[in-house]
Amino acid sequence: MARKARSVEPTPAEALASVDGSSERDGWKPEDLKMFQFLRGVLNHIDIAYVATYPPQECGIATFTRDLVTAISKYTPFSDPVVVAVSGEADIEPYPKIVKFQIRKPNPRSYLDAAEFLNQSQISVVNIQHEYGIFGGQDGEYILDFLRKLRKPVVATLHTVLFDPYPNQRRIVREIAELCSAVVVMVKMGKQMLIENYGIPPERIVVIRHGVPNVHRVSATVAKKALGISDRPVLSTFGLINRGKGVEYAIRAMPRILEKHPDALYLVLGETHPGVRNYEGESYRKELLQLVADLGLEQHVRFNNRYLMLEELISYLCATDVYITSYVNRDQIVSGTLAYALGCGKAIVSTPYLYAEEVLSKGKGMLVDFRSPDEISQAVDYILLNPGFREEMEARAYRYGRRAAWFNVAIDYLDLFHSTRSLPKAAPAVIPSRVNPNKTDRSKTA
Amino acid sequence: MDADLDVKIRRMGDIPVVDLAGDIDGYTCIKLRDVIIELLKAGDRKVVISMAKVSYIDSSGLGTLVGGLRRINEHDGGLALSGAGPQIRKVLSITGLSKVFSVFNDETEAIRSL
Repeated sequence: MARKARSVEPTPAEALASVDGSSERDGWKPEDLKMFQFLRGVLNHIDIAYVATYPPQECGIATFTRDLVTAISKYTPFSDPVVVAVSGEADIEPYPKIVKFQIRKPNPRSYLDAAEFLNQSQISVVNIQHEYGIFGGQDGEYILDFLRKLRKPVVATLHTVLFDPYPNQRRIVREIAELCSAVVVMVKMGKQMLIENYGIPPERIVVIRHGVPNVHRVSATVAKKALGISDRPVLSTFGLINRGKGVEYAIRAMPRILEKHPDALYLVLGETHPGVRNYEGESYRKELLQLVADLGLEQHVRFNNRYLMLEELISYLCATDVYITSYVNRDQIVSGTLAYALGCGKAIVSTPYLYAEEVLSKGKGMLVDFRSPDEISQAVDYILLNPGFREEMEARAYRYGRRAAWFNVAIDYLDLFHSTRSLPKAAPAVIPSRVNPNKTDRSKTA
Repeated sequence: MDADLDVKIRRMGDIPVVDLAGDIDGYTCIKLRDVIIELLKAGDRKVVISMAKVSYIDSSGLGTLVGGLRRINEHDGGLALSGAGPQIRKVLSITGLSKVFSVFNDETEAIRSL
């Protein structure tokens, strides 16, 4: 019998029905309805609004938000989450039904309207996904208008914490912290920076890991066979391609890697970041393709120039022997792609940007210098030649990934949301007007 | 090291105790579902599930427990959970399922409650 197509977010009944797989196999019985009604009465209820970009927009924060919403909804089947999506002025996005309101990024009035919409709603708590670029105004400052007008408790997840921000950037983050009940960062280093470089009180900062998909590992051999790339050492990088990813340094490492692993294949998975495409088109990708041609690597570097769905992405990651992140900016405080590779239990070679430095500590990956093809090739070579070392690294990565699985991260967020929901608005913050100027010197803590 | 779920049954008097070890998630929860169904088919009506060695549980795992409780209730039986660690207790508490299940630190207490 053909199954009915489902929307992305299940209805409460679907959510409950799906939980033990009984509905489709056994059919519903009167006892199920009784249980359903009973659970509706006893399960904790919390209506959350998420303010962020949201798919089908293609960006890391949109994906993050969708994953978070989905994970939390599974634990709160009787609640009604809402997304306030941040869109361009004239964009018409075919959003799913969970998106109830749109903020037009460059339109200041739109932020006030969104706040009023939420003020009038049943929403218990608001979660903002913050990154300077997704909101309008200088450094995204329009989000402050939204927060000032909002009369609901707010938790802000900070996706960017700059080590040495411009004054306006620092002001915005500090004000966000003042107006929110809590701010979330994904690594401990982010908390330390907020305290030392932004003067935000530690009690207002919560560290919750970046979520990763729940993946049960399959052998790379099996995964490679399914993709038609059997018997080749596979290296990969994925995500929305942009210059910050430093893919050229991994490509430049390939000739050295091929000396000992002549069948090695490097997969660059993902399309050009839509934001980048808007201002420079495909010029970065074309440069990478030219580099591959110049180095004669056509048989050893492949590009998959499209947005990958999760299942496909996981297939590629499972088939990967060594995952590479070669970002060129040390300030990168989170990387969804690296988090996913950890979740799949992969051996990882990475440059030491802040997120990588922290999550790959204690043998969960190998750090190499920025812009160093030589170090990348040496690290990849070492991993491929030492299976015992590789297995230990993979095991450590996987253990970390289990703790960071979305179903665990969702519980951490729910815990935080429940603790803040009773607050009418942000509790008064005592944020010092000045921060220690010495702490803005990168060398002090790097 | 891979996430999996070991399911073993032992008997304490007339009561079957289901020892779980590992993660209860969308991949593994069917094992738990099947064992509860088998116990009911074999005529057992009171069941203790030992959660002491469960590392993580996701919404599918919770749903399987709820489904197990529903099935056992249909037979006028009883289900108790024992030995849940802090992470599992946190999940039960945050979702509100701690009000649905009888949760005991001690296995003997769990058996006695049925």
